[in-house]
Amino acid sequence: MNLRNLSIERKLTLLAMLTSTLAVVLSSASFLIYDLVTFRSILSQDLATEAQIVAYNSAAAMAFNDEAAATVQLSALTAKQDLVAAVLYKSDGTVFAHYYRAGSPKPELPAPVEGREARVASGHIEVFNDVSLRGERLGTLFLQSDMQRWNTRARQYAGILVIFVLLSGLLAWFVSSRMQRLVSRPILDLEQAMRIVSVDKNYGVRAVKTTSDETGRLIDGFNTMLAEIQHRDKALQRANNDLKTRTQELEDEIVHRKRTQEELLKAKDAAEEASRAKSAFLANMSHELRTPLNAIIGYSEILEEETRDSGPAENVRDLRRIQGAGKHLLSLINDVLDLSKIEAGKMALHLETFEVESLLEEMITTLQPAAERNANRLQLRVHGDIGSMHADITKVRQILFNLLSNACKFTENGTVTLDAERQPGSEDRLYFRVTDTGIGMTPQQQRNLFQYFAQADSSTARKYGGTGLGLAISQRFTHMMRGDIHVTSHSGQGSTFTLELPAKVAPEAAEPSSELPASPPVVETLSDLPARTTVLVIDDDVSVRDLMSRFLEKLDYRVISAPSGLEGLRLAREIQPDIITLDVVMPQMNGWDVLDQLKSDPALASIPVIMITVVDHEALGLERGASNYLVKPIDRDRLAEALDRHRRPDEDSMALALSGDR
Amino acid sequence: MPTILLVEDNELNRDMLSRRLIRRGYTVITAHDGEQGHTMACSDSPDLILMDVGLPRMDGWQVTRLLKSNAGTREIPIIALTAHALLTDREKAREVGCDDYDTKPIEFERLLHKIESLLVVKGVL
Repeated sequence: MNLRNLSIERKLTLLAMLTSTLAVVLSSASFLIYDLVTFRSILSQDLATEAQIVAYNSAAAMAFNDEAAATVQLSALTAKQDLVAAVLYKSDGTVFAHYYRAGSPKPELPAPVEGREARVASGHIEVFNDVSLRGERLGTLFLQSDMQRWNTRARQYAGILVIFVLLSGLLAWFVSSRMQRLVSRPILDLEQAMRIVSVDKNYGVRAVKTTSDETGRLIDGFNTMLAEIQHRDKALQRANNDLKTRTQELEDEIVHRKRTQEELLKAKDAAEEASRAKSAFLANMSHELRTPLNAIIGYSEILEEETRDSGPAENVRDLRRIQGAGKHLLSLINDVLDLSKIEAGKMALHLETFEVESLLEEMITTLQPAAERNANRLQLRVHGDIGSMHADITKVRQILFNLLSNACKFTENGTVTLDAERQPGSEDRLYFRVTDTGIGMTPQQQRNLFQYFAQADSSTARKYGGTGLGLAISQRFTHMMRGDIHVTSHSGQGSTFTLELPAKVAPEAAEPSSELPASPPVVETLSDLPARTTVLVIDDDVSVRDLMSRFLEKLDYRVISAPSGLEGLRLAREIQPDIITLDVVMPQMNGWDVLDQLKSDPALASIPVIMITVVDHEALGLERGASNYLVKPIDRDRLAEALDRHRRPDEDSMALALSGDR
Repeated sequence: MPTILLVEDNELNRDMLSRRLIRRGYTVITAHDGEQGHTMACSDSPDLILMDVGLPRMDGWQVTRLLKSNAGTREIPIIALTAHALLTDREKAREVGCDDYDTKPIEFERLLHKIESLLVVKGVL
């Protein structure tokens, strides 16, 4: 058993017992030894005294050589039980008389020693004493005594000692086993408390302090530590709970978002499906509508021809009205079909190279009857060598037809002029200008010009016919070919429509060719949408517009340009561009007025405007709300930097927002 | 007067166009599907064929291709009538050997102009 592994109680008890027993043993032993030594010297002294007396008494017997008397004298010593031998030596060292204790073996006699001497030898006390008479030494007396008494005493003492040690040990055990609790109890209590803490993880337990000693301080320290742990535990628990709550909230949020996302996706799918269905429906409908309509128009034409030959003349007028209404309906259906294709992104460009002048002459020929109807003069002016162009001829024809027939429609007894011009540059551009001397338009009318069903007013439709979709379609066709179409007009003084097209329409501008929607047209997915940052360039100078477009497109912006302030404002409202660059010096409406209008329109006020001009009025520009002010000639790096500041932060995420505009 | 074969499956269109052509003095024979059109083109030797392209049994493109590959019918001018003014249709018309094409809805005077030009070229008029 290892002492170290004993319990504290036992250790303390053992310690107390050992200490006290050791003390008792040591003190008793020293007392015992002292006593025994003293007792031995008393014994030898006694024996010496005895020897003196016997020597004195035996002197006469020796002087007279009376051996018997000497023997009697010695025999008197029998009363001394522990005396083993008494011998009288003559002066020559021979034995004169002797006495040996009965029952004891005859001892070895030592040689006589002169004088007086007491010694302890081989467990006996031996004493020599001279026998003298009147100063004459007669012989020597030798007494030998055993240590019987001393031994007995030592044995008794040893017994007493053992009993005493046992008793005192017992007492020490009894006392210490009680007294040790003073020390061990608090430690054991502490240990107990620690066990509870470590087993039950219950930090609310406190060790009871009963003393103010080191153990007391230890307990204090332990309790303080527990309190600290408990405090931290609680804080940790609180933090943990907070974390749990937050995690739960986040999880809820994620679930919520997922659900929203799913709903959005579903809604998107549904919307796409609906859009597909709508397009398919429109395509089918327009086809189904056209077939009977063709019959109506065709038969009314037959009837008209026949009636003209033989029937009542007034019927001819009615039949013409039927035809007119039918043709109007037909063009409406065609326009709606075109629009539905544009909306669905299914309108494709079919690019081919053709001679511009022959196309224009064909247009003039085609429209001659329409011009004559209102007694208009239709003229074509081609400036310089116009050459050929690479574009979608059907769409160019449709746009020009639309512009020219509008001009003829809204002009009476006037002139409709088609000017055509080629402007060379790094990329040649063609300008077709349709000028009439007709009724013209107010600024308000011009604003809505390119929107669906936006004729000057509802009475216009009654008076002039038309679907109100032509210009909107023309504009979208123009944009598809990366061109521009705009108008200048004054009410009562006629209008000028300018169609601007690149001489070579870039194939990337053309969407892949597709069959007409006999099968439902596929609606563009979100990722196909142009998600680039859109810049609206407002500048009256075509070369600036052209330069800006090419430069900005290289920087991956989507560029839409407007040749005038009015058109710029209109486009800004329509397309909600991300950035606007604005020229200051422009005819009709200058850049400052455009800026003011932009900033006063809540829907447009947040669009950053970069003023680009030859006039250095930076402070004025910034004061009026422009984001940047660049002075011509334009420093490309500065422009790029200014634009970059307003670029969409995450272009992909904006695709959804953009799709809402479509 | 020249004979025109009108291959058209829609009864109203067939009736309308044939009546108007007749009024202009043409002899008009009609077929209502591709097969019949082919048969009549071979047997009746019309001076010109107006060929709707969306026909049952055999479409207008196929009939045209057959007629243009046959020495007996190769010389008959064919005007394709397509429903939509698609570039692909125009190219297809050229590819299969049509002499001209026109789009529906038929603008009668324009079609008449095309018919007459072809007949003049052929020497019938």
